[in-house]
Amino acid sequence: MQLEIRHLAKKFDKKEVLRDISFTFEEGKIYGLLGRNGAGKTTLFNCLNRDILLDGGEFYLEIAGKREELGAEDIGYVLSTPTVPEFLTGREFLKFFLEINEGSIPDPKPADAYFDFIGIEAEDRDRLMKDYSHGMKNKMQMLVNMIAQPKLLLLDEPLTSLDVVVAEEMKQLLRADKKGRITIFSTHIMDLALDLCDEIVLLSRGELEKVDKENMDSQEFKEKILEALREEQGAQAPGERQGAQAPGERQGAQAQEEEADGSHI
Amino acid sequence: MVRTFEIAFRLKNARRVNGILFSLRQIPLLGKRIPVGVYRSGGLKVFAGVLAAIWEILTVFLGKFLYLLLMVGWASSQYGGVGRAESFLHIFFFLTLVGAFYNTYLFNPTSDKYYAVILMRMDARRYALTDYAYAIAKVLAGFLACGLFFGRQAGVPWGLCLLMPVFVAGCKLCVAGYVLWDYERNRRAMNENLPEKWIWALGALLLAAAYGLPAIGWVLPWQAFAAASLCAAGAGIACAWKAAHFQEYRPLLQELLRAKREGTDLRTATAKAVQEQNRKMISEDRDIRSSKKGFEYFNDLFVKRHRRILWKSSVRQAGIAALLVAAGSLAAVKSPEAAEAFQELLPVFLPYFVFIMYALNRGTSFTQALFMNCDRSMLTYSFYKRPGFILRLFVLRLREIIKVNLLPAAVIGFGLAFLLYVSGGAPGVADYGVMVVSILALSIFFSVHYLTIYYLLQPYNAQTEMKNAAYRLISWATYLICFVLMQLRFPNVIFGALCTAFCVLYCIAACVLVHRFAARTFRLRN
Repeated sequence: MQLEIRHLAKKFDKKEVLRDISFTFEEGKIYGLLGRNGAGKTTLFNCLNRDILLDGGEFYLEIAGKREELGAEDIGYVLSTPTVPEFLTGREFLKFFLEINEGSIPDPKPADAYFDFIGIEAEDRDRLMKDYSHGMKNKMQMLVNMIAQPKLLLLDEPLTSLDVVVAEEMKQLLRADKKGRITIFSTHIMDLALDLCDEIVLLSRGELEKVDKENMDSQEFKEKILEALREEQGAQAPGERQGAQAPGERQGAQAQEEEADGSHI
Repeated sequence: MVRTFEIAFRLKNARRVNGILFSLRQIPLLGKRIPVGVYRSGGLKVFAGVLAAIWEILTVFLGKFLYLLLMVGWASSQYGGVGRAESFLHIFFFLTLVGAFYNTYLFNPTSDKYYAVILMRMDARRYALTDYAYAIAKVLAGFLACGLFFGRQAGVPWGLCLLMPVFVAGCKLCVAGYVLWDYERNRRAMNENLPEKWIWALGALLLAAAYGLPAIGWVLPWQAFAAASLCAAGAGIACAWKAAHFQEYRPLLQELLRAKREGTDLRTATAKAVQEQNRKMISEDRDIRSSKKGFEYFNDLFVKRHRRILWKSSVRQAGIAALLVAAGSLAAVKSPEAAEAFQELLPVFLPYFVFIMYALNRGTSFTQALFMNCDRSMLTYSFYKRPGFILRLFVLRLREIIKVNLLPAAVIGFGLAFLLYVSGGAPGVADYGVMVVSILALSIFFSVHYLTIYYLLQPYNAQTEMKNAAYRLISWATYLICFVLMQLRFPNVIFGALCTAFCVLYCIAACVLVHRFAARTFRLRN
């Protein structure tokens, strides 16, 4: 299975955020989508999730040589600011999700098994989610997206605002669950991308560029990425910051930008 | 000090000018033509600068002008038993005391203070003092001009008019002096926007004294006002000395402006407050359960946990309507004149009820709660946006909102028919039927209407800001049409039949539209 993007374009006012993007993402891999703030990462995700209309181009799945449209049920989208229905308890949300997807979830398990899997404690499972912490909400959002087993999983900076323990748990989950799907993980923290992802893709000046992943841990490799992204200075996408953030993403991303340090690019 | 004032003033002015330019860019059609580069320089920037300067001058007089015109001048002219000049001074005296606590200038955590003292790290003492001195100078100038104008109009002698600005400035300085002294002792930084309980109580008491005492024929003697003004002036000078020598402006302002660290953006703060308010609407009752499955389960839990905002008002409306019907019926039975009036009015009064049913409908609250506490989060999940799921939930929600609104509608519909009956009756049974059916049809119509426009024009973005002009336009047009209909007097049978037919047709059309388009339109706005 492959996700084919062909000549995808999106602009806001006169600013071209995505320029004629063509790229192939392959099954079973986690792609680290690196880009500077405002480079268009969220816009790309919003286009793939059909939250905003494209100005040009197309994207589709190619399965065993056959072209298939990407349906809503094929996509999982995890946002940096977790959004869960706060009037439900964790268990009620899971029950609802399992019931309405009955028949389409392979090998369904009892709710508690899922909670054990994601690491939500027994005493928290029957609490209203409005009282959940940021990390717990994030876990619920991730859980629901993982149970659905979407063919394409989009993760928009989902780990940067979590504490180190939850972030590590999430990374392990993503690694363990990458088979049979395409996972695209957007971040502006380079070390995180290098640690988790199989492939690194740069979104720079509205275009996607795959980076040769040999010697990914070397300083030289980091310098190479930084150099590529520096070139984008002055060519950022103000239109995106104003009008095309992912739903619920803006505040979270800004907080992360302020909090993140180290290899923050 | 002069240099500090100059820098602070330029900073405030830059913010104001950019605010004006930002607002200009938000104007539909025109805004698109103004480039982003307008903030850099150019004619528009100069124009905005002129506007900002005019606004600065207006702030000296405008607020005080309106305040003295309405709250003091107009209010003082409403009392018959006391002299105009006396009541003017009396109200002015007590309102000034209230204002001294609620409008201190020094303890108002404005964005300008945050930018200057916290972000720009200006000298806090110099900044606070120059900013405060400027504010007090504006008070003196504004109240001198407006006080003379309105005071003389009310017949207040010249000398007392001249004391008005002195009294205001003196009171403000006294409160400032007290708060600074309190800070030195107790480390409490008063925020004038979040006054303590005793200030609320004092404010209410002073307000009651301002407007209540003249009503019972008592006003403050002018001699008392003059003496109070002179005392305030003396104490104010002492407090000004205290303010000038106070050394802890930085810790005080840092504490006062702490909340601003989370952001000075009003929209973000408002969105946060709205979300918090809606979160409080969710019932914490642990006994709430549902035995249903799937979407029925989801919807059932939503309704049960939002019973307070959905059913409580509906039950209250039904109760009030029942009481009014009972009172009307009693009046009709006891008084032939009332019965006659009802019999005359009710058969042509149906158009009026279009507006009443519009005003009573819970559709807006229902869709708002749906968005804030449910769809805002759920619409970020792909599975939730499947066309089949959207329609199933639409049907369930429609059923629920119709039920919520039908309760008061049924009481009103049957109640009006009963009132007509006890008032002497209608010519035919059809008149009663039309009345009941029309009211029920109107209730269903508004329920369908609100939910349909919510699904077809989903107006909110993830930050709960309304982003759809068409939604606003339709809401406004709905109000206008209902308001116009209220002015009509039509025979019930004709109006009722037309109205019911329209409601049925509209409901069918709305459901067809939702069926065809909601899968595409029911999305979070960007």
